Amino acid sequence: MNVNAPVLLSPVHAALLARNPVWSEAGVTPPAVLGFDGNDAQRAAAVGIADLSHLPRAGAKGPGTADWLAAMGLPVPLQPNSWNQLPDGGLIARLGLTEFLVEGDASITDTLMQTDRAAGVYPVLRQDASFALCGARVNELLLQTCNVDFRTLDAEPSKLILTSMAGVGVTILYTRTFTHPCYRLWCDGTYGLYLWDTLVGIAEELGGGCIGLNALR
Amino acid sequence: MKIMICPVNGPRPVSEFFCWGEIRPMPDPDTCSDDEWADYVFNRNGAPGVKKEWWCHSASNTWFIVERDTEKDVVLRTYLYGEAA
Repeated sequence: MNVNAPVLLSPVHAALLARNPVWSEAGVTPPAVLGFDGNDAQRAAAVGIADLSHLPRAGAKGPGTADWLAAMGLPVPLQPNSWNQLPDGGLIARLGLTEFLVEGDASITDTLMQTDRAAGVYPVLRQDASFALCGARVNELLLQTCNVDFRTLDAEPSKLILTSMAGVGVTILYTRTFTHPCYRLWCDGTYGLYLWDTLVGIAEELGGGCIGLNALR
Repeated sequence: MKIMICPVNGPRPVSEFFCWGEIRPMPDPDTCSDDEWADYVFNRNGAPGVKKEWWCHSASNTWFIVERDTEKDVVLRTYLYGEAA
């Protein structure tokens, strides 16, 4: 892969590249990591961390945003700090009172970015680093980096949490979208490399490490 | 670990918050005296007691108001701006 090509890359692209990943097929931008070596499944069983920054996403905030999104047929979550599944497998998350994150098929996110915004709707640039955390010992990793007990999320599947992880502001939710139940995590892209290195380091201490998409789904 | 209750995000460790200081209503610069304006610009009330302060939950950037007893360092109440004072 030509890293000098003008394509959108994951905030942790350099860290991924150093581990000789297997990339998704050419022509898919931004590229996704399918796997690293033959041991992805073993690491995923302990503590796996996958980079999902390549997924298309869009953001909007403001007092008119909930109505604007509902008018486009999206299942808008009614409670602050909650999320809903989109029919195509993506998700729509309500962050606080009037801010929304939509992640899923590019056709939906592109529509959101290009549709005329209603009054009281403001665009939010989403250049997040986004990871998935799975495995039997994932809670040990979370306990080391965060002050919130995430096991409560399993009982409240529509809830999401905005908190501080290893000093970085993150959005976290628990999903069973993939074969392995996992925590999805978003943070500001500029903190992505630091958070990735920190989490991978702890995951490796716990017998896991970085994994590709194939081990997750 | 000290816990503070964010009006949107619920109970969280106080390390996730920062304090932006006491709420100080600005006098109308067109009608107030020079002494009142100088007092507003330069002086701060350091006496301990129950005060209303701006606080922010940094992970979600939620700004809200805290009623805090600065003598005992006890948080009495937290609420969003615009809710009943």
